[in-house]
Amino acid sequence: MISRRRFSKIAAGTGLALAAPALSTSSLAQAQPIKIGTSISLTGPLSGTKNALTGYQLWRDDVNAAGGLLGRPVELVTYDDQSSPAQIPAIYSKLVDVDRVDLLISPYGAVLSAPVMPFVKQRDLFLVGMFALAGNDTVRHDKYFHACPWGPNSQVNWARGFFDLARAAGCTKVAIMSADIEFAKISAAGGKAISEEYRMSVVYDQSYPPNQTDFSAILRNIRAAQPEAVFVCSYPPDSTALIRGLSEVGIGDSVKIFGGSMIGLQYASLLANIGPALNGIVNLHLYVPEPTMRNPAIDGFLARYEPLARAQQLDALGHYVPPFCYAAGQIIEAGVKGANTLNHAQISRYLHANPVQTIVGRATFNELGDWTEKRVLMVQFRGIRGRDVEQFRQPGRQVILDPPPLRTGELVAPFGAARSG
Amino acid sequence: MKRQDVAFAAGAIVVLLMGFGAVHAVANPYFFFAGYVIVQYVVLATAWNILGGYAGYINFGPAALYGAGVYTSALLLKAFGAPLVVNIVAAGLVGMVLGLMMGYLTLRVQGVYFAIATIALVIMLETVVHNIEYLGGARGLALIAPEPPAWAVGRTQFVFLVLLAIAVMSVALARWIERSWIGRGLRALRASEEAAECAGVATLRLKLAACAVSGALLAVAGAPYIYYASYIDPGSAFSLTLGLNTIAMPLIGGTRSWAGPVIGALLLASVQQAATVTISSELNVLMVGLALIVFIAAAPDGLIGLAERLRRKMHA
Repeated sequence: MISRRRFSKIAAGTGLALAAPALSTSSLAQAQPIKIGTSISLTGPLSGTKNALTGYQLWRDDVNAAGGLLGRPVELVTYDDQSSPAQIPAIYSKLVDVDRVDLLISPYGAVLSAPVMPFVKQRDLFLVGMFALAGNDTVRHDKYFHACPWGPNSQVNWARGFFDLARAAGCTKVAIMSADIEFAKISAAGGKAISEEYRMSVVYDQSYPPNQTDFSAILRNIRAAQPEAVFVCSYPPDSTALIRGLSEVGIGDSVKIFGGSMIGLQYASLLANIGPALNGIVNLHLYVPEPTMRNPAIDGFLARYEPLARAQQLDALGHYVPPFCYAAGQIIEAGVKGANTLNHAQISRYLHANPVQTIVGRATFNELGDWTEKRVLMVQFRGIRGRDVEQFRQPGRQVILDPPPLRTGELVAPFGAARSG
Repeated sequence: MKRQDVAFAAGAIVVLLMGFGAVHAVANPYFFFAGYVIVQYVVLATAWNILGGYAGYINFGPAALYGAGVYTSALLLKAFGAPLVVNIVAAGLVGMVLGLMMGYLTLRVQGVYFAIATIALVIMLETVVHNIEYLGGARGLALIAPEPPAWAVGRTQFVFLVLLAIAVMSVALARWIERSWIGRGLRALRASEEAAECAGVATLRLKLAACAVSGALLAVAGAPYIYYASYIDPGSAFSLTLGLNTIAMPLIGGTRSWAGPVIGALLLASVQQAATVTISSELNVLMVGLALIVFIAAAPDGLIGLAERLRRKMHA
């Protein structure tokens, strides 16, 4: 007959033997990393944004140093999309179907993000958007959250700050010029809508081919139209050529405010290249080192970014893209920790209901996943001397004029006076 | 029907059946995303080779005709919700008309001048699309395609199968042209246009036919793209990289026969797809450039020509 003690031993042994595989599987699962997938434009015309990877990597390192997410380490799975939308469907299918990533971040900008949106909608996946203006307005996916503070109805509203400044300066006649390219066209359309709303007459409205290098004829035509505000929607190569043309041809005495949506004037290489010719231009930015913007978190981030940028020959300043990539990670972190799961619906529900503190500010999301509060800066270049990049790290060189809560100075106008530095 | 024709027809049916079987047997959609790009290049390379390989008229603007197909299909889908088959036929007709217009260019320009003129067609069509707001202009156009039929498993699998059928038909057409009196005429034209004309070959009619067929097939290759990506933009539709790949593939495989572009496309597109998710970056484009240099230097008649040369050497 079997004794009670012997029975207990056998029962415990059997139980342990039965539970062992489950225990080992469970501990293995715990050790499995949480995979976050995205594509980055390492090559092609958008390769200027490849420092996005550094932003993601710094966040990954921080979150892993703090114990990971749900007790699991975080792993990034990234591919080069070659700045081509044609590559995106296959890359995101690879991320989801082959690499089995747990969460997705979109590629950079509206053009590359557009093919991802139907994909995530059809599969009902969580996605953090990166820099796509009105990225979710067409698909209206309920699991989309934007890492950039373009704000609601961004297609029209994001450049409103420029027109608010123009109106405050008494401008009634506006000239709009744009490159024949996606972001610039969206910006120009938004600018026209706001001009109409503010009853400003559009005295010049022309687009130019993206490879335009000589702006002297265009600038002369604008000068002849005698606008008081010139809203420019350009991309990096034409931004540089246009500013050079501006120095040679001028724009006339009628202009009080010039700039608005010039992409490229956020990157160190272009800023250093253009130098003092930047003075007086009012342009968009998302972060500048002004006292109203700085906080220990972003200062710490940039202090870690700068040596990496030097070593990897990335954008020396890193003010435009990398902090928002870090913020994308923080949004994921907040959602996963808040919902305590990787379930996309529950993460989305949590993020819709709760604000997220990021290094670029506090994000509260509306039903489309846009920040409820627009935080696009309009900054005026002032006191730029020589071509030293270091000066763009100092306050007072990119003075914030809009939005009012972050303002660090008033508009210097007319434009001719502001140009003198 | 000759034995070779029977073998070709049997091979074509097997390819289609394998594609259909794969859609039901392979659960992972990624393979159809990648497969779509590879099969698309088979159609593009085959179509380009009808004019560039058989007739020897180098068309540097395949992206113009492909883009025309992409945008024709998107226009019909957006305006009328037209089914894919209608879009494919319409894209083919548009491509044929553009091809004919390109063919008339050959009356005035030949050789390198014709090649330059075809590049101009890409720039012209891209500029036209930039200025049509209804097609999204420079910002591109996002469209959600209708649900695919139930037998196709999913949307990606459906467009993959459609494109596979187009590829099989394109290759069959290219093979028929190559072996018919048209192919013989085009070969004479490539050897010497003046001599062919003196020998009674209707060069203009043949050139127009080659341009029209090539143009139609290039445009047809673009028709399903909006169903694949749900988004089109002028930069991708009229991409010069796509044009470069389309030209490189027949040159690598061999331009003298229908099999050359198929082999070139399968090889290069597969390697590129693999490179995109492995080594990635500039190496992808560099690979095409290096492959072109190597093949032009070492195997000017492509892989098919190289194999033929090796076979002759072994028998000699």
